[in-house]
Amino acid sequence: MYLSLNWLREFTPYEGSAEDLADRLTMLGLEVEEILRPFAHLKDIVVGRVLERRPHPQADRLSLCRVDIGQVHTLPIVCGAPNVAQGQLVAVARPGAALSDGKEIRQTEIRGETSRGMICSEAELGLGEDSEGIMVLDGHFLLGRSLLKIYDLDDHVLNISVTPNRGDCLSMLGLAREVAVEFNLPLNIPSARPEAWVVEEGASCADNVTITIDDPDLCPLYQAGIIQGITIGPSPRWMRHRLLAIGQRPISNVVDVTNYILMEWGQPLHAFDRALLAGERIRVARAREGQSFTTLDGRERRLLATDLLIWDAEKPVALAGVMGGANSEVTRTTTDVLLECAVFNPICIRKTSRRLGLTSEASYRFERGVDQPGSRLAMNRALALIRETAGGKMMRGVAASEPRSWQAPRIIFRPTRAQKILGVALAPEFCRQKLEALGCDVNAEDAQAWRVLPPGFRLDLEREADLIEEVGRCHGLDRIPATLPKTARSLDWLESLAPDTDFRGKIKRWALGCGLTEVINYSFISSQDLTLMGLDREPVIALRNPLSEDQNVLRPMLAPGLLQSVRQNMTQGNATLRLFETAVIFLSDLAAETGAREPSRLGLALTGNRYPEAWPWPAEEVDFTDIKGCVEHLLGHLRLPEAVYVPLAEHPLCLPCAAVSLGGENAGWVGRVKPHLADYCHIRRGLFLAELDLNLLQRLCGHGRSAFRALPKFPPVRRDMTLIAPLDLAYSRVLETIRAQAVDLLRESILVDRFLPEGQQEARLTLRLTYRHNERSLTNEEVDQTHHGLCNSLTTLLPVRFS
Amino acid sequence: MSASGSDLGVGLARDLAQDPAQDLDALVPELEASLTAAGSEQELEAVRVQFLGRKGRLAGIMSGLPKLALDQRPAVGQKANQVKTKLQELLDQCLARLERDKERAALSRFDPSLPGRSAWQGSLHPITLITQEICSAFVSLGFDLVEGPELETDFHNFEALNLPPDHPARDMQDTFYITENTLLRTHTSPLQVRTMLRKRPPLAAIAPGKVYRRDSDLTHTPMFHQIEGFLVDTDVSLADLRGTLTAFVHRIFGPDTVVRFRPSFFPFTEPSAEVDISCMLCGGTGNCAAAPCRVCKQTGWLEILGCGMIDPAVFTAVGYDPEHYTGFAFGLGVERVAMLKYGIGDLRMFFENDVRFVSQFA
Repeated sequence: MYLSLNWLREFTPYEGSAEDLADRLTMLGLEVEEILRPFAHLKDIVVGRVLERRPHPQADRLSLCRVDIGQVHTLPIVCGAPNVAQGQLVAVARPGAALSDGKEIRQTEIRGETSRGMICSEAELGLGEDSEGIMVLDGHFLLGRSLLKIYDLDDHVLNISVTPNRGDCLSMLGLAREVAVEFNLPLNIPSARPEAWVVEEGASCADNVTITIDDPDLCPLYQAGIIQGITIGPSPRWMRHRLLAIGQRPISNVVDVTNYILMEWGQPLHAFDRALLAGERIRVARAREGQSFTTLDGRERRLLATDLLIWDAEKPVALAGVMGGANSEVTRTTTDVLLECAVFNPICIRKTSRRLGLTSEASYRFERGVDQPGSRLAMNRALALIRETAGGKMMRGVAASEPRSWQAPRIIFRPTRAQKILGVALAPEFCRQKLEALGCDVNAEDAQAWRVLPPGFRLDLEREADLIEEVGRCHGLDRIPATLPKTARSLDWLESLAPDTDFRGKIKRWALGCGLTEVINYSFISSQDLTLMGLDREPVIALRNPLSEDQNVLRPMLAPGLLQSVRQNMTQGNATLRLFETAVIFLSDLAAETGAREPSRLGLALTGNRYPEAWPWPAEEVDFTDIKGCVEHLLGHLRLPEAVYVPLAEHPLCLPCAAVSLGGENAGWVGRVKPHLADYCHIRRGLFLAELDLNLLQRLCGHGRSAFRALPKFPPVRRDMTLIAPLDLAYSRVLETIRAQAVDLLRESILVDRFLPEGQQEARLTLRLTYRHNERSLTNEEVDQTHHGLCNSLTTLLPVRFS
Repeated sequence: MSASGSDLGVGLARDLAQDPAQDLDALVPELEASLTAAGSEQELEAVRVQFLGRKGRLAGIMSGLPKLALDQRPAVGQKANQVKTKLQELLDQCLARLERDKERAALSRFDPSLPGRSAWQGSLHPITLITQEICSAFVSLGFDLVEGPELETDFHNFEALNLPPDHPARDMQDTFYITENTLLRTHTSPLQVRTMLRKRPPLAAIAPGKVYRRDSDLTHTPMFHQIEGFLVDTDVSLADLRGTLTAFVHRIFGPDTVVRFRPSFFPFTEPSAEVDISCMLCGGTGNCAAAPCRVCKQTGWLEILGCGMIDPAVFTAVGYDPEHYTGFAFGLGVERVAMLKYGIGDLRMFFENDVRFVSQFA
């Protein structure tokens, strides 16, 4: 909302600076975003008289003018406008002056003739649309005076961000009221004498139009006024300047008055060409389902039965509260006008406006609620202004139907409650004075519980809390002292806290120590990516209104996002990546309250070098053992038991791929990304991914809380064995077989070497076995006996031999 | 020295006859002379063999012992032992010297400026770092962490927060819908609703998490991070909110930061305020080195969070008696704080995950 200080001063005598006003309004909850000087460029545009005009010797359409700007020397100016004539008072831009578009005027030579300035059109000065000819000044002005001065355009305009609750501040008057309250200034409402604007003779308006309202909920008040015999033309200059100052385009006298009143009072109006209305009837009723209607912007709109229309005796003529119809618009030839001033249901207007994507100054205000009692005053002022600017004869009175009058809510205000909420004691007299200045009717007979009636323009004041906010705001929220709360806590509350964040923090600290880099990807991915990644077989959760096709489904696993991160980095030349992400994924679950489960996942991605690319590290590339190592390291970090890794033949993203299983539960997977997806990420080397179920890990950690084990008192004895095994014998089978022997003294078996002799289909696996007795030292003989027994069992149970 | 070694035995036998004690005494200065010339452990070993070896000089002298008179033998034997000890001592000293020299030579080649075998450097995302910093600030003020789903119902995200359908304030938050009734949460405020539905006051909690709005341009990403905080008890005031947030701002942005409370509007708080802090770049003056401050755009203030006293309608929606309980709530954008603290100009970098960006922060 733009606030013109000149316009404001019509209602309240604010004499301070624009900057100070901006600061104070901001601290009152009306945030000023910028201060504009819409006509500042006119400072250097001056009044001149055309003393002489003769044709340019070299160009048919140019004239040579001599212009007097009240200085010793006259200015020679070459002018291209057809309407320039001797004797005219004109707007002159001297060399150095700037036009509204910022273009600076210089002394030039035009086809051999010197031109020291420019005679300007309204469009060039930002004072209108007319660019056909120069602007001719009506009236008597001193030559050489600035246009800024002669038209009183030295204005400051504040661009104010008005919050949705303050519909009343979408008008000069509403903002003037705030200024008056803040600076303790009087408020001069132009409606003080409404009768002065209204004629009391001739035909009655009410006899010439019948108003029917089908549903009072949707339209509690409809007023119509009629003016006959008007002449459509431009509105007076002062009105056009006011509208231009706040960014409104002047159109014609009648339309400009409706916009002027909208900006001044916040009351939207609509003017119909009465000749285009059938019958002397106005009806406010819903549209028919599927009905089409052309609004005055020329667009045909398909309506629903929930949309509200204004009808004449035969047809719809306006989309109520949003936009008038093309069929009844005021045009240059209009002579009789029916002026609508109504109140519509905010929700109804909002639904229509949202659905059609059609927001107007009118709908914006109706959505936020308009002042029903005040709309009568706005109507009277509008009629008087139309008559003043477009002539004509006003019909007596205003036809009105008000099936539901506005009732002020009765609010109890307790000064003690205000103190409790605000944390500061405000003097009752201060509260009362501010509430009254804001337009409330205050009855403080009961000092503990005042009865307050808010005014019709403050639809946001409904409850005590709203009034407490008002007095707090007037006092200044920034002046309330700062104290720290006593944070009482209850035991059952503390016990109910789920330490998910703590667990994720633990995971993140682990990753940090592991030299992984955290990424955060969008939760949404494209359904195309899902197809590419073969993830489209499961049902996914789709957005109903995505921003783009690139982000139209929620990711059912972290991998697609991680692949995006890899891809993004590859295009930047970051070829070695060690990434991790913790986030929730989204799985459709119709039994869930939100229609989805959001399990927590950890994703890992490795590619490029195994070690930092520097001496003394060897140059090696990561392979499957690196990513599996990460997974093992994490499980070890969490002190979880060893996982079982089983090849997964069918995985959408990876081949080879292994399922990670913990105590029989599926904890995730780890693998090498398939070539076509690695290609997609611009990777020619190996790219390895893992994804783990953090909920499961957290649950398992919770169960197996770390417990102390006494340190062994007796020394271990170690024995190596080297097995020669066929290549297709899984190492896990060797381990399982060793464990299955349940050798009493065996404490640990580690693979210390794996050698593949060239050209042979066998692997040599060297295991180091640790034996120990808990209560005594072992002798070499008993260890040898046990060890050989184990070796013999292996050769009988497995297709292995010893060298 | 070693070249003449083969003749030694002959000479010794001849001399011995004259005076073995004298011969023994002569060994010490001879060894000393040989040792000064020994520059390596190998040379030292050769000297050792020459004097103390099985066929060495000392052994040679001792081999003449049986030829001596019986009464002379003990004295010469004693002498021989003394000389042997002395020789060994000299050899040990020389060995120690050689080892010292070797160590010194090795140290002179030691270059600590060569790179170490350092492991990979890990890094946390700036959003994580700032979230942890903010959360720990509030935890130290007595708030507990809570979490909730990112996919929400209309009830939790809007209705219970005093945002009925078709309320103009819904325009403030453009929403991604999944169905008519479920959506991606537009703020972390549903955690207020979920927590209050689950528990009775007193409670004080903060809820960090991802939120989503249907908006994407230079200054908006469709996903970002918020931290919601709220405190409910029987006697909580706006002054307590001011105190809490002032303490927070001082902790995160430094004790000299000025905090400003400006009235605003949120449907779920009443009164509502926005909190501005003095611009950290220009110190609140609006100008940096005579040029307009580009961070605060010359206002001297930076908006960092929204807050207010929990609206009675929210209490009613969760079944609290609004006469009995009061409370405050606040919400802040993590990206915004991260941008201010780290001086990041482009919001979108947070989600491009370029490792050169992500790994800059600690």
